[in-house]
Amino acid sequence: MQSEAKLTFVDRLRIMRETKFGAFVPVLLALAAIWTYFGLAVPLFEYFTDPSVDEVRFVFLSPRNIYNLFMQSAVIATLAVGITIVLLLGDIDLSAAATAGVCAALLGVMVLAGVPGWLACLIVMGVGAIMGAAQGLLVAYVGIPSFVVTLAGLLGYQGLMQKILPTGNLNVGDPFVRAIARILIPDFWGLVIAALLVVFVAAMALRRQAQRKALGLELDSTTAIWGQVAFFAVLIFAGVLTMNAYRSLPLLILLLMGLTALIGWITTSTPYGRSLFAVGGNSESARRVGMDVKRIRVSAFALVGILAAIGGIFGASRFGSVSYTAFAGGSLLLESIGAAVIGGTSLFGGRGSVWNAILGALVIGSLGNGLDLSGASAADKLMFSGAILLLAVAIDALSRSGTGTGR
Amino acid sequence: MTIEKMMVGRDAPPPHLKVAGIKKRFGGVEALRGVDFEVARGEVMALVGDNGAGKSTLMKVLAGAHVADEGTFWLDDQEVTVNSPHDAGGLGIQIVYQDLALCENLDVAANLSLGAEPVKPGWKFLPRFLRPIDDLRMEVKAQKAIDRLEVRTLKSVRATVGGLSGGQRQAIAIARAVGAESSVVMLDEPTAALGVAQTRQVLNVVKRLRETNHAVVYISHNMRDIFEIADRICVIRHGGNVGIWNTKDTTPDEIVVAMTRGIDEAKNAV
Repeated sequence: MQSEAKLTFVDRLRIMRETKFGAFVPVLLALAAIWTYFGLAVPLFEYFTDPSVDEVRFVFLSPRNIYNLFMQSAVIATLAVGITIVLLLGDIDLSAAATAGVCAALLGVMVLAGVPGWLACLIVMGVGAIMGAAQGLLVAYVGIPSFVVTLAGLLGYQGLMQKILPTGNLNVGDPFVRAIARILIPDFWGLVIAALLVVFVAAMALRRQAQRKALGLELDSTTAIWGQVAFFAVLIFAGVLTMNAYRSLPLLILLLMGLTALIGWITTSTPYGRSLFAVGGNSESARRVGMDVKRIRVSAFALVGILAAIGGIFGASRFGSVSYTAFAGGSLLLESIGAAVIGGTSLFGGRGSVWNAILGALVIGSLGNGLDLSGASAADKLMFSGAILLLAVAIDALSRSGTGTGR
Repeated sequence: MTIEKMMVGRDAPPPHLKVAGIKKRFGGVEALRGVDFEVARGEVMALVGDNGAGKSTLMKVLAGAHVADEGTFWLDDQEVTVNSPHDAGGLGIQIVYQDLALCENLDVAANLSLGAEPVKPGWKFLPRFLRPIDDLRMEVKAQKAIDRLEVRTLKSVRATVGGLSGGQRQAIAIARAVGAESSVVMLDEPTAALGVAQTRQVLNVVKRLRETNHAVVYISHNMRDIFEIADRICVIRHGGNVGIWNTKDTTPDEIVVAMTRGIDEAKNAV
């Protein structure tokens, strides 16, 4: 502890960011701060200053609002998970929201024309993959910076969406598509799923520890393991119980979590995911060990396209309609990039996590939701979001400076 | 006097990797004009020469990064061809470039297995790049590689490379080259940017390579390092051989003269 005292704040920040779990801490703190402010500070302030209020109203932290918050953040989170993948490579995708818009519009048109909902969903996911891969090809093989390619994609796909939806709005009544956001997991089964997940996580952690012991590798401290399991359990049960307190766990949230778990697993635990990190960290190194850097780039952009399409499907399902302003023309793009970056994914590539993107999406969602509740204008919302984004990038830059020079 | 006579004669160990008559031309510039070179197992062969003498070109030819215009390769008296880094890797020839090419955002174990991550058995229904990485096996492998080179300052193979010292990074880059079943390891100026303690660490690693029966090619400008570590010194100048000296029979002055003025004057100077 003695040596720790000499470390500067920036050093501590950097060390913390380099541990697996520590990367969550800044975004969790941000989330806690926002929830404390809107959930506790604002109602109490209102109670003590406004004589007409005769009881403390915890509007923000009510189960109903939390439920809505999760649903509102779902589309942002889906896109943020996708954008995280290209950010890991050190690229950026500005066209994700426009891709989501085109896919949602296509979905709406197709189900209107009588294509079965499930088939339409599969088709738009394929279309999303092609739209992403096309941009990836330009980035990897023609060598245009991803910023420019996807900026062109943003404009082009916005136009494409307007072509598909000349009126700018289309209702989606297809039962399959609507079901994604409407189906609720019964309270009991929600708890069963949560319990099974906790048991699974604990079992995996114990099995891993036993394997490490058998192989004679250094062991994680037991406190850390149980701490992580307990933390996970608290998060998941708090989430499910809050949902149950209002309605029930929505299928949409379950799908989002499953999707994030899948992408999280691919990025951290497969050779493909490792190659994403390697290319983002040092693409020359990746090339020399025989990785096909170009193909990895294209595939990453294709993945973003698929996730954008899924985001489009989620959006169409939740709103029951597809509109130009909800996707391509609105603030969705900046919110989802913001969510990924606030989650701690580095814009310089090679560092980040899709789970952090989910938390980042919650930060952005909470900010919007909280400011709406306290009657702030759209202008205030934009300015607050900008400040939070700057803060997140500043943390990224500070925790990055100093790495690279040997200690 | 012919080159053969100047080369170390009968007491030279049998070469593991040997090349002869290597020529390489870049446009109008003849970078290598018929160079011979050899290295045996269990020895450190220093490759020295002034700037522009062709050291790096020769090394890249050996590693397959450049393809020689002319010349012959032998590995243990078998004639082989090296036309790509992949060929060289297949023959067990590995190179550690000056820039190391490590991924600073990944940990030591991940860097050591980069591009060849072990995957868990089963999961046959998935393509290889989507099967789960066996990270425990990866750590064991990394720990073994680190132990073999006796890098004592490295505390954990789970440490991120970005937080390591220059010497530790060099050691890890060397460990990566060695780990890939290699018999020839070429090091390009491994101590160029390092301080005294870090240099010591790297030289120890190079000594370990010699003890583990690797053929080591060591490129450097630093005479002190070379005379400490090398068994033989190969001097090239203007893309051609000057000669090969046994380190114990020569002096830094003689080598410097050979590097800068060539063989005849070197002989006069002695």
